[in-house]
Amino acid sequence: MATEESPQVTRRATRSYSASNTAIESTNPPESYKPTINDLGFRQQPLRLEDLFSSFPGRRSQILELLRLLGPLNSPMFPILVYGGPSTGKTSVTLQVFRHLNRPFIYSSCITCYSPRILFESILNQLFHRKDSGHSYSSLKRCERPSDFVNYLREALENVITNLKGNSGKVSSKMSGRPDGTMVYLVFDNLECVRDWDKSSTILPFLFNLNDILKMPEVGLIFISNTSPDTYYLNIGYAEPIPLYFPDYTEDDLRHIFMANQTNSRLYASFLDVVLRPFCRVTRQVDELAAAFSSLFKKYSEPLSDKEVAPNEEMKRRLFSHIRPHIASALNETFQVRSQPLLKAETNQETKKTNSSRMPGVREDFDKIDFHMSTSAKYLLISAFLASRNPATLDASLFDSTGVSDSHKRKRKASEKSMDQKEMAEQELLMKGPGTFPLERLLAIFQCITSLAEDSLDEEESHELTVEGGSRGLMSDVLLQLSSLCNANFIIKGGSCPLEGSTRYRTAVSEDLALKVARSLKFPLSKYLYRR
Amino acid sequence: MGREKEKEKLSEKALNLLRSRLSDPNFIFRPLSDSPDSNYSKLKFIISTSVTEACNNSILLLGPRGSGKVAVLELVLSDLLQQYPEAISVIRLNGLLHSDDNCALKEIARQLCMEHQLLFSKVASFDDNSQFMIAMLRECGLAHKTIIFVLDEFDFFAQGKQRLLYSLLDAMQSVNSQAVVIGVSCRLKLLSDERFKELIDTYLSFNFTIGHLVRFLFQAVSYMDLSAGFLSLGNFKTALSSNQRQPKLECIRDCSVLELYMMVCMKRLEVKEQASYNFYSVMTEYKSIHDSFQTSDYYAANVCLRAFEHLLQCQLISFIDNKGHNQSVEFRPVKLLISSAELHQGLKSYQQCPAILLKLMDR
Repeated sequence: MATEESPQVTRRATRSYSASNTAIESTNPPESYKPTINDLGFRQQPLRLEDLFSSFPGRRSQILELLRLLGPLNSPMFPILVYGGPSTGKTSVTLQVFRHLNRPFIYSSCITCYSPRILFESILNQLFHRKDSGHSYSSLKRCERPSDFVNYLREALENVITNLKGNSGKVSSKMSGRPDGTMVYLVFDNLECVRDWDKSSTILPFLFNLNDILKMPEVGLIFISNTSPDTYYLNIGYAEPIPLYFPDYTEDDLRHIFMANQTNSRLYASFLDVVLRPFCRVTRQVDELAAAFSSLFKKYSEPLSDKEVAPNEEMKRRLFSHIRPHIASALNETFQVRSQPLLKAETNQETKKTNSSRMPGVREDFDKIDFHMSTSAKYLLISAFLASRNPATLDASLFDSTGVSDSHKRKRKASEKSMDQKEMAEQELLMKGPGTFPLERLLAIFQCITSLAEDSLDEEESHELTVEGGSRGLMSDVLLQLSSLCNANFIIKGGSCPLEGSTRYRTAVSEDLALKVARSLKFPLSKYLYRR
Repeated sequence: MGREKEKEKLSEKALNLLRSRLSDPNFIFRPLSDSPDSNYSKLKFIISTSVTEACNNSILLLGPRGSGKVAVLELVLSDLLQQYPEAISVIRLNGLLHSDDNCALKEIARQLCMEHQLLFSKVASFDDNSQFMIAMLRECGLAHKTIIFVLDEFDFFAQGKQRLLYSLLDAMQSVNSQAVVIGVSCRLKLLSDERFKELIDTYLSFNFTIGHLVRFLFQAVSYMDLSAGFLSLGNFKTALSSNQRQPKLECIRDCSVLELYMMVCMKRLEVKEQASYNFYSVMTEYKSIHDSFQTSDYYAANVCLRAFEHLLQCQLISFIDNKGHNQSVEFRPVKLLISSAELHQGLKSYQQCPAILLKLMDR
């Protein structure tokens, strides 16, 4: 798994919305590319300090502190832990600081390197400068254990450092594009992911003690993490790295960030005056705000015929009254993930990064479901939802062969005690979540529902003759559909029950989604739900 | 202009010097080691006697992290290597890396090969390596050469079946060898283990830690103003304040108002002595607060779920058990990881905290 610095940098640039430097070009390496030691540096135009400050508004003190801790050229350092909330600019600032200093560094992210072996091999590949255009995905050395990694790393680092020392005696590096100095820095990004794959907790202590194990003063370690240092409590103790905190942006900083690179700054300023404060009450993460603002700004500037004009007071008031009803609804929506994949590809990337995909159903907040499902899959989903929601004892009364039964609508007045019981039961339902059901029950409910649907279809279109083989066709698909629904996380497969010996399933969709699906099939779901 | 540049260069050199000295443990511990009572002298005496008298020995160095055990050991070893260049060979193992005895023997064989200019084969098996080690021990014993095994993070070797330790100590007993085993550990409970009392001949304990002090000094030195060229009191104060951070409070200050609402709801649920709560119970509480107080901050469930996940990510709340992976996020029970005092303090220091939250916390 070979990596290279420049394409990574371009990816970083697109990820950071409008605050990035405008002078970033994407370089395409030629076919027969042999990376050399110069690749350890940033390989793009060097950055002056003022540009660094201006591209990261609100981060001046953090940049200064990082520069101070890294120290002057060839000065040994203690390991640093950069931490802060998501999208606070930790990675971008660190990388741009290295660009400004023009020092050689190795970057690896624990999200893309999701196991120790991949992490070790990625670092070694970068150090051994290996990227063969033919075998660009094979590693130079197979390295699984920390002990092997330390040996190879020492060897590689000594190589690199002797090279660097040789270079530093020659022509000044500014002219030849070579990185400065004789120190190599290792940057480990997204360190909190290591906790998840490190069940036996050997890797985290190893990384934190790497400085002591290597005992090479020419190597500097920088860790970047989304969570604070006290979440890395290790019971063997370790030499704590120096913490560097990146707080979330204040409202003023957010304003600066969003104002950068806007074509019509006066118009955008008046837009921000209106929306920034209410949105900041909900979230202060830049990527979430950027996604919300981009669509909202389009609506805001709709009534304007001329987008270049600077608005005066009266126009501002008009625009405000136009946008006001939309703000409230926009506040209650998370990312608008439209099914136009190319346009919204960037927003999608940000969505996936900051939000786990454990609840796909909830994100869609439209009136219609936004994805395609076959009819049998929809029926299966509804049956699964009913099976999870209703206790099994009710099935017989709900799904008898004559169709919907009204027997659960009791005519007596509810007494005080039963109201309390109802409340407690509802509480329990909330706490426990959807119940599990075996496969047979799901299929039985599915059979009932589809036969009902067939009957109603028959009544409506009694003159059609083609509906006959329908139900038999639906049945054959079911098990296949079930496994696709499980893969899509609509239904979760639980462990097998030891008494019965069959696997049990559980729905993971919210009621909203189930209702939407039912509505699209014209199925009266609410009549079948218990206690509604 | 030229003088400014010159001055900066000089102060850069001074800064570099200070930083390299502070990051080098050898430099720090050398002056502390001169007195005859110190651990340095004791260690040096023990090892040099085993070298000269050709006997086996085992030592355990105990002390908290950052107290200079490995530093002093390295000082002793470098001095002895100068004194007896041909008579000592050092093998270094680390418990974090080599606790598996396969790995450990491979590493021992590799280091022995490197030391004696032999070819190391990577595909050698465990038996091959262990026979090689025994053979080397015997040869070195005959040549009156002492092999010193340094076992860092000794507690990792001491857990489990301790195969490596037993094979090492076995080898030392069986052949006519000269070996010294030095264990370094920061876990003090080893002292209570009976087996070690028999095996280890000497215990040396290192009592004071200066690791934290050195780190603090490093930070203060880094903040030195290069144009002035001198350290100021302000540098030390900044370094001190960065070491006295309270991360949970910082997290709370970074939360949005909606997230604060959710934490206050959870606190109230705890006060009402609900055994466990999940996202939906928090939402019911949130709704009841909105109904009784008519707050303006009432948002839909999906936005609240996103805030909930953000709190999980910051580790201000966490799941109660790790096994509920077949339940979705909204149904798994969670608990707050901050106390109500911390939450209270965080709310007070929050800019523009809605008054309603403080009122709710006070009840």
